[in-house]
Amino acid sequence: MDKQLLAMLVCPLCHAKLDYDREAQELLCRFDGLAYPVRDGIPVMLEEEARQLSADEKLEKSS
Amino acid sequence: MSDDRRNTTHFGYEEVAVEEKATKVASVFHSVASHYDVMNDLMSFGIHRIWKKFTIEMSGVRKGHKVLDIAGGTGDLTMAFSRLVGDEGEVVLADINESMLNVGRDKLLDRGFGGNIRFVQANAESLPFPDNHFDCITIAFGLRNVTDKDKALADMARILKPGGRLLVLEFSKPTTALMSKAYDLYSFSALPLMGKLIAGDSESYRYLAESIRMHPDQETLKQMMSDAGLDHVEYHNMTGGVVALHRGVKL
Repeated sequence: MDKQLLAMLVCPLCHAKLDYDREAQELLCRFDGLAYPVRDGIPVMLEEEARQLSADEKLEKSS
Repeated sequence: MSDDRRNTTHFGYEEVAVEEKATKVASVFHSVASHYDVMNDLMSFGIHRIWKKFTIEMSGVRKGHKVLDIAGGTGDLTMAFSRLVGDEGEVVLADINESMLNVGRDKLLDRGFGGNIRFVQANAESLPFPDNHFDCITIAFGLRNVTDKDKALADMARILKPGGRLLVLEFSKPTTALMSKAYDLYSFSALPLMGKLIAGDSESYRYLAESIRMHPDQETLKQMMSDAGLDHVEYHNMTGGVVALHRGVKL
């Protein structure tokens, strides 16, 4: 995904910065415990399309 | 459970549950995405290009600006902004609908646009951008389809920089009785028929005509934009009020 876009995007719910998981193609908000999918290079910043993070994933530090 | 009316909204003339509206609007746009550009030209006799051109002129967008095109769909405004902002600038095309976004991206890439354009699937009611970020935000023929318009306008105001401008291009209320009559006749008879013949889908175009009638008129939308925290809100009627461009500034 585009670097400048990545730098700009925040969580649509809490407006916090997101962690990018390149392998899983997901943008993670650890506050809300949500993973927003990146499909075909386009970030899908919709709550209803996001995956709930597990307790472990929420605690994981961003690398 | 004391007040059922609080939980419904309109989808065209139909009364639907608030949670249902987004899904219903989405299915309309999945259905019309591939015919969207040709239908716009036919239905408006090409006049939508003039409405959009005026919007671009009123935007004040210059080199280096950051612009957000909400409900940007097939990218007409985004293309013009991309030229205006140049390499130092940035245009984000956001749409809630995946089909519209895919059609828009393919079209823009086919025409050699790309470098300064980003694509995001997002809901206008909760935008994934930081506070005070954009010099200009446009939403052209999109606000009508948003479930909670007040919430969307407030979130747009949040992400505008101080001095930034919001432009809302949308169908509105014809200013004369004659225009209103002619417009009714056209949109409730001719539009669904054209939709059926060209896109094979009269229902979506009936929704279009109905949703236009349900949309707030010029003065109401102006007040809504002021309530959302925008200043110097003004509007310009075009084509006898069939369409209006509202503009507000964040101070």
